[in-house]
Amino acid sequence: MNKALFKANLKGNWLIAVIIMSVMYMYLAVMISMFDPESIEGLREMIKMLPKELVSAMGFEDLGTSLTTYLGNMYYNFIAIMFPMIYVIIASNRLVAKHVDSGSMAYLLSTPNSRLKIVATQAIYLISSVASIFLFLILAGIGTSHAMFPGELDTQGFILLNLVTLLAFLAISGIGFFFSCIFDDTKYALGFGAGVPIAFFVLNMLANAGDNISWVRFFTIFTLINPAEILAGSAFTPIAMLILLSIAALAYAGGIIVFNRRSLPL
Amino acid sequence: MDIIRVDGLTKTYRNGKGIFDLDFSVKEGEVFGYLGPNGAGKTTTIRQLMGFTNADKGNCTILGLDCRSAAEEIQRHVGYLPGEIAFFESMTGLEFLEFINAMRKTKNTTMMSHLIERFELDPTRKIRKMSKGMKQKVGIIAAFMHDPKVYILDEPTSGLDPLMQRNFIQLINEEKSRGKTVIMSSHIFEEIERTSDRVGVIRDGRLVTVEDIHSIKSSLRRVFVVTLETVEDIEHIKKSNLEIGAINGRQVEIAINSNYQDFISTLSSCSVVGIDILDQSLEQVFMKYYGEGGNRNE
Repeated sequence: MNKALFKANLKGNWLIAVIIMSVMYMYLAVMISMFDPESIEGLREMIKMLPKELVSAMGFEDLGTSLTTYLGNMYYNFIAIMFPMIYVIIASNRLVAKHVDSGSMAYLLSTPNSRLKIVATQAIYLISSVASIFLFLILAGIGTSHAMFPGELDTQGFILLNLVTLLAFLAISGIGFFFSCIFDDTKYALGFGAGVPIAFFVLNMLANAGDNISWVRFFTIFTLINPAEILAGSAFTPIAMLILLSIAALAYAGGIIVFNRRSLPL
Repeated sequence: MDIIRVDGLTKTYRNGKGIFDLDFSVKEGEVFGYLGPNGAGKTTTIRQLMGFTNADKGNCTILGLDCRSAAEEIQRHVGYLPGEIAFFESMTGLEFLEFINAMRKTKNTTMMSHLIERFELDPTRKIRKMSKGMKQKVGIIAAFMHDPKVYILDEPTSGLDPLMQRNFIQLINEEKSRGKTVIMSSHIFEEIERTSDRVGVIRDGRLVTVEDIHSIKSSLRRVFVVTLETVEDIEHIKKSNLEIGAINGRQVEIAINSNYQDFISTLSSCSVVGIDILDQSLEQVFMKYYGEGGNRNE
């Protein structure tokens, strides 16, 4: 790991992470403030007026009765997936492929740092920035819930829910990073790096939407984030976490190895 | 001692271009000019020296270390100027130079400040807002500021104004007198001529010749455009042994290889109004080498 490069990454990329976190926090705060055990019926009535398929696609079917299950369904089925996904797509592309495509990678490699060290630094930056987003979400979620509805949040369940989502994004960012490492052209790196996560996202919505096509759930890793099951303490959750972690490890390692070996168009 | 060695280096790209079986070496304290038209394979060779690409065949070493596998160690001793400069655009010039210093763990900034002054660079400007020439200056400073042993410079003067070009050539000559080894590519002979000890000429990915600068100079073909006072003078020149190109009114093109004496004595009996050197492409300058290569390809 190279500290100077890590700092330069931070300087060039902190803004988009902060924007993503702000938007996510705004939604989270609104969602929490809308929680009211009494008026949750009203929310159900409102959701009933929307098309049924849309409601299931966004995972709003079962609102649950506690603050935690309510957040799990309202927030972690959709918003907590969409915004980190935008961040991961942009950041993974900027950290490697963009430097190769623009040629600035030549400068990084003309310093006495091995290719392995450079690309590993970029991977560490991406991983820690994704982790920061979820750490922020955990703290902000607990803090805001506590301020508005003291004692209502199942803190442990909420942390576990974030942890699983974080692991899913380590996997997704790993996939983006892998494509960022293997292509010469940002066009392809971005095409695949954005295409695959978006495909997962759309498949996840389809899988939620209809029983007759629920088999597509096997083709997206987002279905491994199942807030209702995670909060119910399902025995599958540790397995899901292990699968996500393995995908992340494979993707990051694959990207680093390929980048270290290949010819670069600099 | 050979600082840079290139041994049977071959790298073919999908479009059939590339470099084929290159062999040359650069000795300690030598400035090696690497000359060829655009697309001849100069940058491809330099990419290999920098360890960016894997060779199909052959290898190259710097300071006895393999360029691809020992890149990290080699970079401690190399100053590199890329042909196409791409920086971290959101940084200012100074931020970028400090960043590169940090990446190199260089603490001493004397050389950096000296070079900023020497090239009259305004380092507080954002790189994104810089002109081509200013970016080139930043690139040159980044390549020289850590006082390396070896310089690898890809088209170093492109974008510089004539004053700064002269400034740069002076810098190269100073570094040479300090015992540094330089390989610099160019598609302009004049630029190489003023600094290099030896010249390698590359065309279509093959090394056409590696020669001492003086022997190259003496075999160079130059075309002069001579303007004469009367048409009779042209008739007079036609009768001489000189090789004559296009005639345009009272202007005549005369190609000279080494027969300057002939040229001058013929002209001395005419009334000459003006003499210009025709700017020629590299192919024309190196007709001798390129001509042979052209025939071989047919």
